[in-house]
Order: sequence, then C-alpha cells, then structure tokens
Amino acid sequence: MSTPAPAAARAAAAAPPQRRPRHQSRYLFLLPALVFLALFSLFPLVQLLRMSLSDVTASTLNSSWLFVGLENFQEGLASGQTGDALVRTAVFVLVVTVIGMVGGFAGAVALRTRGRWSNVLLAVMVFAWALPPVVNGSVWKFLLADAGLLNVVARAVGLTDTALPFLYDQHWALGAVAFVNSWAVIPFNALVFRAALLNIEPEVFEAAALDGAGRWQEVRHIMVPSVRPTMLVLLVLTIVYGFRSFDFIYVMTYGGPGTATNTLPFLGYLQAFSQFNFGLGASTSVVAVLVVLVLAVLYARSIRKEEKE
Amino acid sequence: MRNSAQNRRTRHAAVVGGAVATALLLAACSGGDPEPGTADGGSTADAAGGDGTVTVWHYFSAENQVQLMDDYAAKFEEAHDGVTVENVYVPYDQMNSKVISAAGQQTGPDVVVFNGAEWSTLALAGALAPMEEPWEGFADADQFPDSVIHGMDDHVYAVQGYVNLLGLWYNADILAEIGVEPPTSIDELEAAMAAAVDAGYQGITLSGLPQSQGEWQAYPWLTSQGFDYSDLDEQALTDGFAMARGWVEDGYLSQEATTWDQTVPFQEFTSGDVAFAANGNWQMGTAEAEADFEYGVVPLPVGESGKVYLGGEGQSIGAFSDDPDLAWQYLTETYYDPEGQLLAVDNVGSIPSRLDTSQEAEVTDNSLLEPFATTLAQNGANYPDPIIPPENVAKLQTAMGQAWSAALGGQRSPEDAAADVIAQIQALIG
Repeated sequence: MSTPAPAAARAAAAAPPQRRPRHQSRYLFLLPALVFLALFSLFPLVQLLRMSLSDVTASTLNSSWLFVGLENFQEGLASGQTGDALVRTAVFVLVVTVIGMVGGFAGAVALRTRGRWSNVLLAVMVFAWALPPVVNGSVWKFLLADAGLLNVVARAVGLTDTALPFLYDQHWALGAVAFVNSWAVIPFNALVFRAALLNIEPEVFEAAALDGAGRWQEVRHIMVPSVRPTMLVLLVLTIVYGFRSFDFIYVMTYGGPGTATNTLPFLGYLQAFSQFNFGLGASTSVVAVLVVLVLAVLYARSIRKEEKE
Repeated sequence: MRNSAQNRRTRHAAVVGGAVATALLLAACSGGDPEPGTADGGSTADAAGGDGTVTVWHYFSAENQVQLMDDYAAKFEEAHDGVTVENVYVPYDQMNSKVISAAGQQTGPDVVVFNGAEWSTLALAGALAPMEEPWEGFADADQFPDSVIHGMDDHVYAVQGYVNLLGLWYNADILAEIGVEPPTSIDELEAAMAAAVDAGYQGITLSGLPQSQGEWQAYPWLTSQGFDYSDLDEQALTDGFAMARGWVEDGYLSQEATTWDQTVPFQEFTSGDVAFAANGNWQMGTAEAEADFEYGVVPLPVGESGKVYLGGEGQSIGAFSDDPDLAWQYLTETYYDPEGQLLAVDNVGSIPSRLDTSQEAEVTDNSLLEPFATTLAQNGANYPDPIIPPENVAKLQTAMGQAWSAALGGQRSPEDAAADVIAQIQALIG
C-alpha cells in the first residue's frame, strides 16, 4: 500500500538536489576510523616515543616523566643488549619469512582444487591459525620437550640416541621458536595465496596441459607469476609478523637459555615489565617500531602497485 | 614409610618450634622498621564505603594453593554476611605490571598477594596502600618478626602470613635402590646423583628460568661456593655456575631446566624417575597427591656458607582499594590469623609467620616441615638481600636469573657469565 507523498516532499523532490560536496561525505565516513586510529595507535605511539626519551621507572610511571634525551637508546646500545637482540631478530625473521612463505605457497598449491579433502584440510588450517599463540606455544613446548612427541619419534627411528635440545640449546632454541612461529603463519599465507591462485582462469591450465606442461611447470610458469603481486604484499606482512613476534618466545623459552632468544620485542618486554625500566624498554620498542614502519611503507607501496596492476 | 623424616619425630618438634621463632627474629628485614601511626586499627565491613566485595589478586595455579585461597574466601564470607571474596588469578610474570598499570588508572585489587621480595617495586609505583596505621592497632602485631614485615620510609607496605623456602626433596625408593643416604653435603649429593644416573635415573631437578624464579633457585647453590651479594667475589660465582653446569654435563641435571619454572621440575620429580628435587615446602600437597613412591626432605646441603632465601608471598592492600578497611579485616582474619595460618600449613605446607602459630602441633608434628625449619634456622637469608636498593631488586633478579640460565644452558661459560653479571650487580648495588 502506498500513501500520497506530502506536498512539501514533492516540492523538494522536484527541486534541484542540493548535493553535499563529495569530499565532505568521504571525510565523514573516514572519521570513525581516524578517531579509532588516533586513540589506539597514534596516541600510544606518541606516548611510547615520549617514554623512550624519559627516565620512567616503577616509581615515576604514574607521575611526571623526566626528559633525558637519547640516554635510553645509548644505554641499550652500550650494554650490547639492543645490538644482540637486533641480530637475533634478523635471524628469527629470516626463518619465519622463508618457511612461512614457502610453506604457505605449497599449502595453497595443494589446496587449489576444490574438494572434500581440501576443504577439511583448509578448515584444520584455519583452526590452527585461529588458536591463541599462548595455546599454540604451550602445545609446541610439550611436543619439543625431551619426552615430547618429536623426540620420541626421533629416538624411535634411530635419528638420535639422546634428546634433541630444541628449546634449551642456545642455537636450537631460536630456530625452534622461529619454526613454530612460521608454522603458525603458514595457514594465513596459504589462504591468501589460494585466493590468488583461484583467480587463474581454468583455461590457462587446460592450455598448458595441451602443450604438455607438467605439474612443476604449471607451478613455475603459471602459478608463481600469477601470484607475484600477492607474494610481495604477503612477504612484507610476514616480515612484519616475524618482527613483532613475542607470544611464542614468552611461552616457550622466556628468552632463554640465558638471553639466547631475546629478540627486540621480548627484550623490550623484559626491560619494561620485568625490570620496570619503562624508559629503556620503550627505547627498545621504538627501534622495533622504526623497522616495522619502514616495512609498512614498503607494504603500502606494494599495495598501491598491486592495485594499479 | 611415607617419608623418612618420621623417625626423627622426637626431636623435630623442638627444632621446628624453636627454629621458626628464633630464625624469623634473627632474619631482620631491611626497611622493616615501621613507625606506627595513630590509627584505630581494623574496621568492620559495615563501616566501609565499598561494594562488599574483597577482590584478591594472586598468581597461584597449583591445586593446593588455589584451595587455600578458596578456604580463605569461605572463612571470611562465613564470618561476614553479605560480603563476597573474589579471588582473581593473574599469571606470575604479569602480576607486578598489572598491579602497577592498574594503579596508574587509579584502580586495582583490594588485596594483592605477590612475591614478597618484590614489595618495593609495587610500593615505589604507588600501587600499595601504607598499612602502618592498622598495623599499629593490630593486637597481634608483636607475633610477627621483623623479617616478614616489609616497608620503607616509616611505612609498612606488606606483611607475610607465612614463610616459604627451598629444601632437597628425595625419592626414598631410588636412594634405597642405589644404596645411599640422603646427602648432607655437596660431595654426598654429587655422589648420590652419579649413582642415580648410573642406575638409569635422573639426578636432580631445579629451575633455570632466566628470571626471578631462577635467581631464587640459584642463590643457595651459588652461596654454597662462597658467593655473597654483600662481598662480590667473581671466582666464587664462577665456581657456583661451574658446579651447576658440571651437573648438566655429567647428566645429573637436564639442560631442559632452563625452560622450567618451579612447578615443572617438581612434576618431573613426582613422575618417579628423579632422585632429587630442589624445591619448596609449598609442594607438600602436590607430593602427597601425585607421588606414588616414598619420599622425604632434607635441608639443602649447602654447607656453612650456603644461604637459603626466606621467601613467600607478601600480602598488601591495594592503593586504590574501594574498601581498604574491609581488605584489612580480610587479612587479619585469614593470612594474619592463627586459624588462617594453620590452613596454609594444612593446604600448602607453609611455615606460619606468627610466632605462636609456629609452635602449634600442626606445625611441630609435621615431619616434612622439620628440614625446612632446620634450614630456616641455620641457613635462612633475607629475600631479597638487604644490600640491594629497593628500586633495583627487579633488575638484579632478572640479571642473575639470566646469568644462571646462560651458565646452565651453556650459552655462556661460567667465567663469562660470572664476569658479566658481577659488572651488572656492581652497577645496581653501587
């Protein structure tokens, strides 16, 4: 049932529309996100920067902060802790990136076809990805323990007589935690890669098959070139993910043995929340933020490039 | 035989009672010299302006420790109609930062139960309410030795309801099989561990986590080699690290200890394949529930120079408690109350901090408490060492915990680990 429109409304409809400038309405839509970002990203970042330039301890945290310039940065570098943590972080990120990217792409290739088993595997991967890192880390800590599954299997197949020191040897520990971090990011990477692979027209594969291309040639000459723009974006995201990883180290090694798994984020945590030297911890975090910012710029550029393509 | 200490029942009553009373008095605490105020003591819930809920933050996850918290809640709620006690678990590593962060927002728990050694960190952050006024009005205040009263600048910030410390737990079945007696010296301990390993068992479990728990566990072994925070001797510290690293290299101690907090190594011990565990009196409930073998405790064989921290949790009123009077009443009727302290003995095996309660039969007749009481009397040391400035306690504990972990894990040689941490300690102690 319709009702007659009021005369005023009819008049308004007949009059030329008073259009709000397009850019104004666009800014209106941007406003909530801007407010959210300012509150929860910009403000904490400014506070972090302020803290890194101040002498902030447990006794001064809740009062005024004394400005000390770059003293905290100098202290971190002079102690050697920041430099050591940077090196460990670089190794950590390298392992996470290589395994995460290769594993993600391999998973996407395996799950490219739609079917019951690929759907089941996909669901399992999403489940593993969605698990909280603390749960993931605890499970892996059991698996990698002396009496854990991996060591039991390694001994059963004669790989070793003694337990493999996954989490308590200074060299193994960093690699083991980085591996678990990689394992956790593989599902996400696989999902993104898979979405890119599904965009390839089936005719391309049919044509390749008619030309006698094998599976490996399909991967090399069709899939890899097709996902290259996505790969660049994902590469930056994975590096950022590796760079800010904290949870698994906290759960699995607590930075140990000694300081062998103290990466930048964990070192910042220790300094701020274990030693309660918030200024020093903030300076370490600022170093990490700077690296992530550089990567964020790269990410933004790669996104723009992908959009153009 | 449930444990071998039972045959020493005739003498342990005197040891426990006397040792607890005298050692707690002797172990005078730095800064624990409250200048009482002019308060009228604890007030009642009725007079309080809060919501009738006492929120208690704690970091206990072991079943018996959680049970104690529940028992305290039930005890207080039973005595006060309409009052609710809400126990809130906060992970050990996050307790201080959460309490400090909450104080920054002018909020937080009514009562906080935390590592007693870290009272200064919380107090300096303004997260704890000064308790000297109600403490002055507390009729039983004279029952508490100075070593369990923590404060500075004429304020009382925390008082411990009990004392915890480390002892050497042993698997009596394994010792009987390899034919050795519980050790009374490091040499005997190492010989026993060697025999246990030869028989296919593990030697010992302890914590090598690179944080304050590691420092707490390292202290007795390091001081056994002559190390002392008051008189820094790099060679003594090197010897301490080398001894522990030697245990790893000889197969007595798993290097995996660097990933263990204090709970995991005791679980390893109760699994039955380990001869010894350096662990605390609070594990009595766990041992009773989980160990299906005969076990006992002897004092840590750390010799005359060896020291064992007198630890335990501190209890304080949050600086922004919405009902500090009710919080104080909760403390006086649970942690500081004779009946409440006996609940801690029954549930956890803690040693009461009250002088009168430490003489009760529940304490003196508990054969497993005797070795701890002996240790307390002969080797007990303030935790943290009074020479460490309050503002640097957390930094020092982290530094020493990391050095201990690095030496155990082979990340640093004992010499390098000792040299590094001595330099850090010198800067922190001044």
